Amino acid sequence: MSGKRLLILGGFLIFLVILVIVFFRSGVEERIKSSPEALPAQPEPSAPKLEKTIKVVLFFLSEDDALLHREEREIASDSSIVNQAKQAIEELIKGSKKGLISPLPPETKLRELYLTPGGVAYVDFSEDIIQKNLSGSSAEISTIYSVVNSLAYNFNTIKKVFILVEGRERETLGGHINLSRPFLPLYDLVAD
Amino acid sequence: MPRVECLRTRVRFPPPPNLISKSLINELSGWKKRITFLAGFFLFFSLFSLSQGQPSSKAQDISKPKNSFSQSIKTIVIDPGHGGLEPGAKGRFGTLEKNISLAISLKLKYIIERNLALLVILTREEDVDVSLENRAAKANNNKADLFISVHVNSSFRREARGSETFFLSMEATDEEARRLAYMENNPAELEKGISGENQDEIKMILWDMAQTAYLNQSSILAESIQNELNSLFLTRNRGIKQAPFKVLCGVACPAVLVEVAFLSDPDEERMLRSEDFQSRIAQAVYKGLENYIAQSSEEGKR
Repeated sequence: MSGKRLLILGGFLIFLVILVIVFFRSGVEERIKSSPEALPAQPEPSAPKLEKTIKVVLFFLSEDDALLHREEREIASDSSIVNQAKQAIEELIKGSKKGLISPLPPETKLRELYLTPGGVAYVDFSEDIIQKNLSGSSAEISTIYSVVNSLAYNFNTIKKVFILVEGRERETLGGHINLSRPFLPLYDLVAD
Repeated sequence: MPRVECLRTRVRFPPPPNLISKSLINELSGWKKRITFLAGFFLFFSLFSLSQGQPSSKAQDISKPKNSFSQSIKTIVIDPGHGGLEPGAKGRFGTLEKNISLAISLKLKYIIERNLALLVILTREEDVDVSLENRAAKANNNKADLFISVHVNSSFRREARGSETFFLSMEATDEEARRLAYMENNPAELEKGISGENQDEIKMILWDMAQTAYLNQSSILAESIQNELNSLFLTRNRGIKQAPFKVLCGVACPAVLVEVAFLSDPDEERMLRSEDFQSRIAQAVYKGLENYIAQSSEEGKR
């Protein structure tokens, strides 16, 4: 009698172990890249929240030095990378809380965000992203790289960013920077 | 002591197994890049030689001006940014980028023609729409030796002032690398003359790669022009910048894009409206150009 029981128990145990392994392994790829300088060495023990959050670093333009500056935001962590990336972009559109310049007009809508297996994020904005009076190279560069850097910096799985407007590929936003290729992040534009 | 160090460098331990695979992968991907780059070059030059067989454009038939500076630089294409329905940046007092870029370009053309025996061609001479690809095409069809795109900047920053000179930054994507690898393996397809979409796609790749061969010279030209603009504006050197500008991608010669000043700054907008200031900018760009030509002809003599 014990032989059969032991077999069942053993089987159950192995199943449990596999379950535990799967549970922990599945999170590995979706882990958010944490940068030592941007995040405190030890997360402060805060009051328990209902929702688990993670910190992301967004990039806004500074009036002082023409560079992109980091600003942290907390977003809900218990969702897919695509959803987290969407939240990050929504936060970027909402603008800075520290008085930095947001290179995306507040009326811009994030229409969709896709992620290819090759690591290219397709970010689809409403036409509001194109500012008629501000179509200079500097403005275009800030707009594009605040988006590209904010995605590539936080999410390991996003290697490149392709910007779409109203669901379509555009040549440029305002006659300067080539949108027909995916962008690699450019950290030269970021303040130390 | 030095002996010991010398010995130490000589001794090489075999890398642990996981390192071997990593370095092997790195090397392989490095080769992949090199091969695709070579393939791109080959494709570009083969198409270039094909196009040379066609009747030459009128610009080539114009008697070639004698050039005291250099024999290699004969034709300069100046590209006044925007135009027609696309006004570009707009200043607070209603100044439009397209008008300023054209005014400065015309002045630059005049100064070059007056001082150097060079052929100067503008991508547009009036307020008309010209696509970004056609601007590059005009340079290539006229066998331009230098390409200068003239723009006026605008920024979200109220403090943004002065000039910036850009040249292209570009990195081939994996997708393009695959496409080029395919073309390399099927070279017959190029000669057969593929019809329709495929041909367009190949052309696109070749266009997109044209500028990569000239990035080094482009950076020297950019620096030379930026130096002169810095002394005009009395600004400290912010350095030249790189960005993936669409208009520069397809140009098959050293090419730069000059953002002469900021229309988003009311003071600079006011200055940009004056003919005198436009002339001074054109003069500064010309000086930068002249220095570059002198520099390159000296290198040619060696």
